[in-house]
Amino acid sequence: MSLSLFYLCVGTTLWLLGLHGMLRQSHVLRRIIAVNIMGGGVFTVMVALAIRSDPVDPVLQALVVTGLVVAVSATAFALRLASSEAVAQREKQQEEAPR
Amino acid sequence: MNLALLSMLLPLATALLLLALRSRSALLVILSSALALGAGSGALFQVVDGGSETLLLGGWDSPLAIRFHLTPVTGMLLAFTALIHFLVAIYAARSRHSQTRHSDYWPLSCLLHGSLAALWLSRDLFNWYVTLELLGLISVALVALAGPKAYRAALRYLLLSLMASLCYLLGVALLYGQYGVLDVGLLAEVTQADHTTSAALMLMTLGLMLKAALWPLHLWLPPAHAGAPTAVSALLSALVVKGPLFILWLLWSQAAPAEIGQQAGFLMAVAGVLALLSGGWSAMRTPYIKTLVAYSTVAQLGYALMALGLLLFWQIPELHVALWLFVLAHGLAKLSMFLAAGEMQATLGSRRLTSLKGATQTVPVAMFAFAVAGGSLIGLPPSGGFLAKWVLLQPLFLEPSHWPWAVGVLLGTLASAVYVFRVVSLAFDRAEPMGPNYRPDRFAQWLTMLPALLVWGMALVSEPLIEWLTGVTRVSA
Repeated sequence: MSLSLFYLCVGTTLWLLGLHGMLRQSHVLRRIIAVNIMGGGVFTVMVALAIRSDPVDPVLQALVVTGLVVAVSATAFALRLASSEAVAQREKQQEEAPR
Repeated sequence: MNLALLSMLLPLATALLLLALRSRSALLVILSSALALGAGSGALFQVVDGGSETLLLGGWDSPLAIRFHLTPVTGMLLAFTALIHFLVAIYAARSRHSQTRHSDYWPLSCLLHGSLAALWLSRDLFNWYVTLELLGLISVALVALAGPKAYRAALRYLLLSLMASLCYLLGVALLYGQYGVLDVGLLAEVTQADHTTSAALMLMTLGLMLKAALWPLHLWLPPAHAGAPTAVSALLSALVVKGPLFILWLLWSQAAPAEIGQQAGFLMAVAGVLALLSGGWSAMRTPYIKTLVAYSTVAQLGYALMALGLLLFWQIPELHVALWLFVLAHGLAKLSMFLAAGEMQATLGSRRLTSLKGATQTVPVAMFAFAVAGGSLIGLPPSGGFLAKWVLLQPLFLEPSHWPWAVGVLLGTLASAVYVFRVVSLAFDRAEPMGPNYRPDRFAQWLTMLPALLVWGMALVSEPLIEWLTGVTRVSA
């Protein structure tokens, strides 16, 4: 139980750290990482809740796996969008530079 | 139930087909949304006649299974979603000014349709998370269709939407940790008013309010909705923001304990009034056409939030009806308004409101559609907006202690009248009309008119509508 409580605290802290990063950071890459830290926090909380029972609660494990899939695809999409945005930004700057 | 599943699977299958064939066939999408509309209406009539139905996915037993539940509200929303997709698809295919004719719009809009249908059918907290995530990702991809200039808004929208989902997911984890169930119906039997439950509900509500752009978490909406291609703005405003609202409604009206619901309801109703005022104020002041329409979405969502809040605060069942009438009326009116705004903007060649000077001469039909849809947003009888407002106001007038809330509705109505007439009066200023930059597209302008006429027709079918919606609340409560 104390182990579960420990990880519950760790997860909540991670979630809060991620939230803080999301709200305070302005660089896109940092914000994407912050969202992932938030996600990590939620999954830690879920796993911490799962180990309270013996055998470990399989529903929460399934939720974490599904959540990971969602997180990975969302991150991939965000990174792709961020890099396209950076390219568009650079092209715009190059167009403006000669003037 | 089979018809409801069909109306969810048809668009999904169409999307996969389009992706597999690398085809961008508009005709296929129009056809599939028309069929989905038929299936959705069939499901609605079935459920109205035969009562609501339940499906446990994969044959699992009740605590483990994901439950699909078909109620009259769900049936109505399925038909409504399909109808809106159908109208938008025709517009996107036929308008000369549509920026989405040969783009990835077609498979994406089908996927959006499928995810929305899954959301309306689900009654499971985690499945809702998945559908919310799907909605978020697809909406961002749709916004990004506008090209590199929309990438920044799209990225901001994506990150906020992910943050909101994670707020919601932490709430789900806490609720599951406390009660060990994810099904809303089962949750309703076991929830108690303790600290963990209220913390979890608060986290979920914050996430959902951010996703539904409910005041004060609405700031992402105007840039995202105004920057998207016209057909996409219409879909986002008419449908996507209603998804999280639906979850919020079921969560609070069914799963949450009544004591917490009462406290939260008061706050929600206050936020709703403030949304009406602040959204209306911003719509009065913005210099851009589409931003005005987007701010009016923020304001109109205030009515829905107010109906939900007062429903929880006083436990008056009529307000369920008001909430869903608002959603239907706003969806149709906003569809018309966004399409008309996009059409006028593309014809006149400027995003600024001042270019609408003399629009009654240059783009008469689109301007008329805008004004007619605006009439429903203001709540002029006999439009759908009037119907919704009437149902909302009736319980407010019954007791003197409720009257202050009616003042809020009145102020919101005034605000919407001001921003609609701001556009209309500019359009009738024929002294020096702005000449159109491009040839006006008559057919597309008439298309924008269609949903506006439908929302004015809502009053004609008000009796069955209200009956179905009251039936809903009786069955699902």
